[in-house]
Amino acid sequence: MDRIPIMALSGAVTLVLVAGCGSRGAESSGGVSGDTLTIGASMSLTGSLAREGQLTKEGYDLCVEKVNAAGGVTAGGKKLKLKIAYQDDTSKPDTAAQLVDQFNDKGTKLILSSYGTPNTAAQAPVVERNGQVMVDAGGADDSIFHKGYKRTFAVLSPASQYAASIVQALNDLAKPRPKKIVFLSADDGFSKTVTNGGTATANKLGFTVLPSQYFPEASTDVSSSLNKVKGQKPDVIIGSVHLVEGVAIIKQAHELGVKPPGGFAETVAPPTPDFPKTLGKLAENVLSSSQWSPTVKGSDKIFGTAKQFQADITKKYGHTPDYHNAEAAAGCLALTLAVQNANSTDANKVRDALAKLDTMSAFGRIKFNALGQNVYKTMSVIQVRHGKPVTVWPKDEAEAKLIWPGTAS
Amino acid sequence: MAASAVVLRSPVVRRWWPWAAGLVALLACFGLQSLLFVGQERIVTSVFMFVALAQAWNLIGGFTGYACFGQVVFFGLGGYTTAVLMSHLGLGFWATLPLAGLLAGAFGVLIGMPLLRLRGHYFAVATLGVAEGMREVVTNLGSLTGGGSGITVPTVGSAAVTAYIGNDGFYVLFLVLAAVAVLAGGLVGRSRYGLALRAIHQDEDAAGAAGVNTTRTKVLTLGLSGFLTGLVGAAYAFQQITIFPDRLFDVEITVLMVIMVMLGGAGTVLGPVLGAVALQFASEWLRQNYTEAHIFILGIVIIVAVVLLPQGAVNYVREARRHGEYSLLANVRRYRL
Amino acid sequence: MTAFVQATVYGLLQGGLLALVAVGFSMVWGVMNVINIAQGAFVLLGAYIAWEVNATFGLDPFAAMFVSAAVLFVVGYLVQRLVINLVVNAPIYITLLLTFGLQLLLVQGMNIVFTADYRSIPTTYASGSVSIGAVEVPIGRLLSFGLAVVITLLLVLFVTRTRTGLSIMATGMDRGAARLMGIRARHVYALTFGLAIGLGGMAGAMIGTVGTFNPADAGYYTLLSFVIAILGGLGNMYGALLGGLLLGLVEAWGGQFLSGTWVNAIAFAVLVLVLIFRPSGLVGKAFYSFRLEV
Repeated sequence: MDRIPIMALSGAVTLVLVAGCGSRGAESSGGVSGDTLTIGASMSLTGSLAREGQLTKEGYDLCVEKVNAAGGVTAGGKKLKLKIAYQDDTSKPDTAAQLVDQFNDKGTKLILSSYGTPNTAAQAPVVERNGQVMVDAGGADDSIFHKGYKRTFAVLSPASQYAASIVQALNDLAKPRPKKIVFLSADDGFSKTVTNGGTATANKLGFTVLPSQYFPEASTDVSSSLNKVKGQKPDVIIGSVHLVEGVAIIKQAHELGVKPPGGFAETVAPPTPDFPKTLGKLAENVLSSSQWSPTVKGSDKIFGTAKQFQADITKKYGHTPDYHNAEAAAGCLALTLAVQNANSTDANKVRDALAKLDTMSAFGRIKFNALGQNVYKTMSVIQVRHGKPVTVWPKDEAEAKLIWPGTAS
Repeated sequence: MAASAVVLRSPVVRRWWPWAAGLVALLACFGLQSLLFVGQERIVTSVFMFVALAQAWNLIGGFTGYACFGQVVFFGLGGYTTAVLMSHLGLGFWATLPLAGLLAGAFGVLIGMPLLRLRGHYFAVATLGVAEGMREVVTNLGSLTGGGSGITVPTVGSAAVTAYIGNDGFYVLFLVLAAVAVLAGGLVGRSRYGLALRAIHQDEDAAGAAGVNTTRTKVLTLGLSGFLTGLVGAAYAFQQITIFPDRLFDVEITVLMVIMVMLGGAGTVLGPVLGAVALQFASEWLRQNYTEAHIFILGIVIIVAVVLLPQGAVNYVREARRHGEYSLLANVRRYRL
Repeated sequence: MTAFVQATVYGLLQGGLLALVAVGFSMVWGVMNVINIAQGAFVLLGAYIAWEVNATFGLDPFAAMFVSAAVLFVVGYLVQRLVINLVVNAPIYITLLLTFGLQLLLVQGMNIVFTADYRSIPTTYASGSVSIGAVEVPIGRLLSFGLAVVITLLLVLFVTRTRTGLSIMATGMDRGAARLMGIRARHVYALTFGLAIGLGGMAGAMIGTVGTFNPADAGYYTLLSFVIAILGGLGNMYGALLGGLLLGLVEAWGGQFLSGTWVNAIAFAVLVLVLIFRPSGLVGKAFYSFRLEV
């Protein structure tokens, strides 16, 4: 017999003898090394969500800067420097989940979520299993919170609020009152929840809701849906969309001559800087809901007021903040405050502190219900004026009056 | 005695050596588990998953030469079968696992019959069309599959018939699936069946003339490939708990399979294993150490690997040993225009 | 009825532009047996170049697209000559791996250089539309459609009437014989690839004007190229145009008569059905498949 197979055989047998069953488990040093507290964040730095991932990272970075400038995080009697360890999940949910396990290996128990509902939904069960704790700053779909997870807390208002807020604003402010509303919705879970929430509120308030039109998520061509509603002559078209579809709706509506007298409203897209840049004049007077606006009431020791936050982001990144920046910063803030309140970096104590958290901030009120959702903060409704989002609702945060009817020229 | 560059081995050794080596490798992988932390365990688990997927693709794409660009449809069908059966009918995972594989395999036979008549390129894109179309169909059957909102396998509370087997459990499950796939590949590679596949690859008409029932062989192979892929898909769905159509029918999974098989060496048994291991570890390592630019570097690595080893690593080694010519540059010169 | 006509018109306009994206892909695959997965990435690169030219020099995108085409022609020529030519004789799907690596490179490179924000090349006229009866015909899309058709026809003329074009066809038919006739195959291959990428870049510039773009769209345009090229028949430029128009129509009609979410499913079903009944695509000829390579 040849020598090589024998050598390989014996080498491998040695390896097998080391065998046991099961893995080595994870280290758990609470993520503190020296005087630095490390929080794990898996970001969509590449892939289809790269844009939103980038905005989220900006919010986290500003938070780290501000927290450390204020002296760091106090826990266990020590002042710790805050650091966020980033990993790229390439916009894929299974990678995002895997990264949470990898963070757990390194003893990083405090996690900031990835962006988007699919990624966050994949991370939540892993966090639950590993005994970590996660603050969700990017996944709004209510379904994440109806699965019995106790260790994930969302600082953002749930998806069902996105369109419902717009409808409520129309009800309160629009005179003459529009009668017929139609929802154009993407078919992913988040957008469908948005549409359902908006439809329910619209029905409750007495609007006529035409049958909703759905199109594939991330489509750049929504012309068939627009074509279908053109004949039905809606007063307002509300889009439950993300950036790509949102821009497509406005652009193609203009091309196809779809001109609802009450104009357009959309979720997610209009407050972002890309919306007015790609649409130019067509973006004027489009309504939207936002997780945050610079006139939100409340302030905190780290970011100051909402206006202060706006100035800081503009200075650091050269663009006006959109709500992705803000909700990310809020998530980081919530985690930091929980650590301070618990006076510990132990995951269980932080988790309990988060459940009890009730504070005002530059982001509005941060408090979680029993499911982990922040239902105590209302979303702002904005209107795009001269390329900038201007808050028009609720009344005590409004910067300007609603221009009605809003038109997309 | 002729001065031959070929190393002669006794026939007995040549026959059982690979099987013994495979068994040892399998045992070693079991042993490896106790050395790994949970996150590392997940990485190795994903390597096993891709080994299984690559081996399955190799059956139809490597041996038979019919590159199925829609392979992920079997993955997705297997995953969704498990998820739907577990959440709607309350079946246990172990009951749905073979069902998922069988459904995917049957689907492979079903689409194989009309599509395997097409020539190479057209077959490839037709299967791609099937995969993409199936994704859209699954997205649209919301009441059954949850559509764009995804579907969740019940793992908590009373609805969970099968307890979640955890990272340790999935390590073993995917390792077993990988072993099964490699075994299948090995058995196919060394049998008359495998010879028939290779004959079809080299010259289908001649193979037919020599008595191979090409249609039946091809369809069966696609079915087998689909079956194995479906099993992996089912395990994946259980592991991820919540699955979405975009991810389970993602064309990138097929592309990764193709890359792994071709870089490792198509039509060999060791090739897909090597390719899967190398690519997964490379992309993981790059991602952990170069957070911003890892995809860019991965692109360069793939290009360089392809240019230097166009025939795949295992085939390169075989040809090099046969001709005694080990220079990579000579290799490049052989394949360039 | 109006909605149907509107959908038809819109679908045709869309389809014509998409055909230009795919025509280069089809040519490269049919002639050289190279599957260019990076086609979508090159299309986007064309869009970005046009955007930069427009932002820096204020050049109208329909003029800037020639700049994109020129730059991408050079890039394509060099890529083929220096990189892809190295693996042309290897097992067929190896070129797919190579172009996949290239796509990773390009998409990530664009992500880093141009950032992931969504862009659109602004014009004063492209979003406006001309009303023909009750049907709105968007100006930007009409222009793009017209240009795409004209360019495709010019391409056909080029390939069938000029010496260089004929040498491309010849090398595609039988590389060995072409070389024996004195045709420099390496150069011709590089020329073909450069041409294909240049056309893709032009399409990209037009896409950037009528819609938005972002590096993550690359995969979508590559998938489209696959579908249209195969639908029409590989290597056949008329086929690519036909395939594009058919796809545009199918998507428009599908969206009109069924829920909008079924649009893609229908498109792929049509692809598979066409292939089952016409295995070489709509107008594809079988003879590109048998090739003697030397």
